[in-house]
Amino acid sequence: MKNLLIKDIRLAVLPLTWIFLAATLLTLVPGYPILLGAFFACLGIFQSFQVSREMNDVLYTALLPVKKADVVASRYAIVCLIQLLAFLLMAALTVVRMTVLSGSETYAKNALMNPSPVFLGFALLIFAAFNVLFVGGFFRTAYKIGMPFLFFGIATTLLVFVGEALHFIPSMKYLNTPAGEHLGGQFLFLLACAAAYAGATLLSCRASQRRFERIDL
Amino acid sequence: MAVLEVKGLCKEYPSFRLEDISFSVEPGSIMGFIGRNGAGKTTTLKSILNLVHPSAGEITYFGLPLAAHEREIKQRIGYAGGAVDYYKRKRIADIVDVTRMFYSNWDDAEYRRYLDAFSLDPAKTPAQLSEGMKVKLNLTLALSHHAELLILDEPTSGLDPVSRDELLDAFTFLRDQGVAVLFSTHITSDLEKCADHITYIVKGRLIASAPMDAFFEQNKADGFGSTLEEIMIRHEKEDLREKLAH
Repeated sequence: MKNLLIKDIRLAVLPLTWIFLAATLLTLVPGYPILLGAFFACLGIFQSFQVSREMNDVLYTALLPVKKADVVASRYAIVCLIQLLAFLLMAALTVVRMTVLSGSETYAKNALMNPSPVFLGFALLIFAAFNVLFVGGFFRTAYKIGMPFLFFGIATTLLVFVGEALHFIPSMKYLNTPAGEHLGGQFLFLLACAAAYAGATLLSCRASQRRFERIDL
Repeated sequence: MAVLEVKGLCKEYPSFRLEDISFSVEPGSIMGFIGRNGAGKTTTLKSILNLVHPSAGEITYFGLPLAAHEREIKQRIGYAGGAVDYYKRKRIADIVDVTRMFYSNWDDAEYRRYLDAFSLDPAKTPAQLSEGMKVKLNLTLALSHHAELLILDEPTSGLDPVSRDELLDAFTFLRDQGVAVLFSTHITSDLEKCADHITYIVKGRLIASAPMDAFFEQNKADGFGSTLEEIMIRHEKEDLREKLAH
């Protein structure tokens, strides 16, 4: 498993994927749907899937003396590692905007989603959608990536729409209040999203392992 | 003990059936696996590597069933689908650095020996190699972990006559070192130069699997000819002129 992770980092993951993590800086952009930072991080991962497919990574890996289940698990692990890095970057920027920049008038007038634990929770839901719809979809065939990415794109659009719309409902205004207010409820939301991310990713990984055992390469 | 034994291998696709394929490969021998394009050679080779899932049949390597000992078996065999067709834009040195991690018996001295013998430059990428050199790179990767069996899918297809002849020399050298080689091809003259055994399939069905001499004697006696090319043509040639006329 460790060797497969090293293999993915050295051969399969593009430098572009790491560069796309810079999209998490969108967290600091006022008047912008900042959840798209999570989408762009996933778009970077998608690029690596695309190129490694063209480079016949699946065949190369399947011929190595490894378990097929580990091939799938290592791919999920590398995806989660990149997502975790994106999450940490977004979390750090969220802390900056909730503390050092909390008094900024520009941010105070922001009509769209502010960086907060709720924002981080929605980012995790986007990552979960990527793992279930794209990565899980890829392992149905081990070569088709177009439709799985389309489904992920649709799910992201819905999540961004819901994330940006919910706080306009008076009873849910607490989801997007300025720094320091309703933090308890916001952290509960983040916790629930983290549990959903972990559960969905694990279930998707297990389903992909079963599918990958069955498909003909 | 046979290095590889295949019994009753079947694989069904909607438009193609591989039926009851059985053969065995002995240590230090070269098995030529022949059949025209689309006969089922690649499906057979992929089945015995667990890349596709057979509908029926038993596959054992070194007396061990593939299903239960896949990882252990893959430590002891090497596969090449002709030329290297993965990570063509990565440097050979980088591919090797990653590949060697997976083999407990990887031998750097052997790796360097084959690099020198085949004049491979590890700073190059597979995309910068000729087709013949790509096959040699695959052989180097397989032999550097002391593969006891090489499974090669049409390794000589698309190569010039000199490269093909060099590869055949490499195969016979490896056979003399005790390595078994199973290679599929439709270039029959290659096998006449080096194969000890022949397995011949037509439209997914096994026609024969026998030592080279016995295979020729039987086909000569049956009136199919005395060369592999004649035998294949007499077994399989369809009258296209008649088909086109209708």
